[in-house]
Amino acid sequence: MIRNHRSLLLLAALAAMAVLAAACGTTGPTGTTSKGTITVAGFDFAESSILAQLYGQALAHDGYTVNYKLRLGKREVVAPAIQNGQIDLYPGYAATDLEYYNHAAGEASGDVTATVQKLNARLQPLGLQALTPSAAVDQNAFAVTKATQTKFSLSKLSDLTSVGNQLVLGGPPECATRPFCQPGLEKTYGIHFKSFKALDTDGPLTRAALANNTIQVGLVFSSDSDLNAKGLVVLQDDKHLENADNVVPIIRQKVVTDEVKTVLDKIDSNLTTPQLVSLNAQVELNHQDADAVARAYLQQHNYFS
Amino acid sequence: MSILASVWAWFGDGAHWQGPDGVPTRLVEHVQLSAEAVVIGAVLALPVGIALGHYGRFGNLAINISNAGRAVPSFGILVIAFQVFGLGDLPIILALTALAIPPMVTNSYVALREVDPDVKDAARGMGYRELAQLLRVELPLAVPLIMAGIRTSAVQVVATATLAALIAGGGFGRYIIDGFAQLDYAKLVAGALLVAMLALVTELGLSGLERLLVPRGIRLLMAPKLRRATTFKVA
Repeated sequence: MIRNHRSLLLLAALAAMAVLAAACGTTGPTGTTSKGTITVAGFDFAESSILAQLYGQALAHDGYTVNYKLRLGKREVVAPAIQNGQIDLYPGYAATDLEYYNHAAGEASGDVTATVQKLNARLQPLGLQALTPSAAVDQNAFAVTKATQTKFSLSKLSDLTSVGNQLVLGGPPECATRPFCQPGLEKTYGIHFKSFKALDTDGPLTRAALANNTIQVGLVFSSDSDLNAKGLVVLQDDKHLENADNVVPIIRQKVVTDEVKTVLDKIDSNLTTPQLVSLNAQVELNHQDADAVARAYLQQHNYFS
Repeated sequence: MSILASVWAWFGDGAHWQGPDGVPTRLVEHVQLSAEAVVIGAVLALPVGIALGHYGRFGNLAINISNAGRAVPSFGILVIAFQVFGLGDLPIILALTALAIPPMVTNSYVALREVDPDVKDAARGMGYRELAQLLRVELPLAVPLIMAGIRTSAVQVVATATLAALIAGGGFGRYIIDGFAQLDYAKLVAGALLVAMLALVTELGLSGLERLLVPRGIRLLMAPKLRRATTFKVA
């Protein structure tokens, strides 16, 4: 008897869940029939959630039913998921994704077009595709304070060549030996710093050392949320020392249509690195939700009108 | 085998013995940080321990507080002090001083308590005033234990000063942190060896100092005991 009661209860619970799931599944723009379902995933950091929301909300506005799998994990989790068809789309980074899919063959370069081309060659046999890359980029970058920028009138890394010997470079200890850091700056730009100070990877030590002028040039990431708040200016990598980690949507070929491509291309062609910094700041520093921040951005840039 | 050879080669490379990242510079930084912390710690801890031991009051309280101090992780103090004081030597000096204090308080308290009450009575009977009794009778007798406390502190501080490198400080910890980050294991092992050697040298140096400070009479008193102990161990 008791057993029967239990199974009845279970059945009721399952039925309730099914109704709920069905209700969730049909949320989309009201009054339109869905053009299909797209599952958008993101990596386990704030910027990826924001980008996934930008893609997802734009697609939803266009009439697609969008499911989100945000903060899904690292690339080691996300990449297999898209190959299995568990997800359809995620915001990738051209160079890092290329080096993931080619098993670190070293094909990535500072040339974003070439990097995306090679990435697509690797994605093709997997049933995947990289769409048009954005100008927004999240990569190693070298920052100075506004005071240093004014004093030496700096805007790009090649401006440092003539004054580098008066400046101290700071970064993680491995910066002293890695080709994308101090040795690269010497080789590609001919910058010979006065000295190098071992600090941390884009963390509080680097911020503190820049603030009290212990170092004048510090390694950061180009889309860090606190760059504006800390009064830091990223110098432009005008000779393309760093690999092109431009934001690029990676999508299953089965899902790509001209329409999907148009929607995503519009976002990527408008998004810039300073905008990405500001979006990240709203989420990481002001503790707003990624979906609200993405919605505000899309509204402000007239995607919904 | 290859790691040993590469460590040997690291020490043999002349470039590692000069400049701002050379062994001499790092040695000076390491010794300076450690010495500052031990001296500040001694100035704070010894008077407290000696006074409490002399008067025989609040001893449990002092020992319990300083034992609780031993449980506070240096790394935690370091990170909090960095948040408060920012970049520089102050956070690491603070963390190391906190590490240096407990053994010195405990040992100097016990050292003064352990002075034979008969000796104190005799001193009083011979007409010593309180301060003279403390300085000329009790302290000389307490030197071996007090020095043992300083030695313990100093060795711990020298070993822990490697943490300075975590907040961009100098010292031999630099080699360990940098070696790890750069996957340069020869540098890492060389740094660890240098710290270990410096700790040993500190221990031996302070033992020598202790021999100089202990009055001859007490040394003679202790000598037969030590010799007996040694013979016993050998046999």
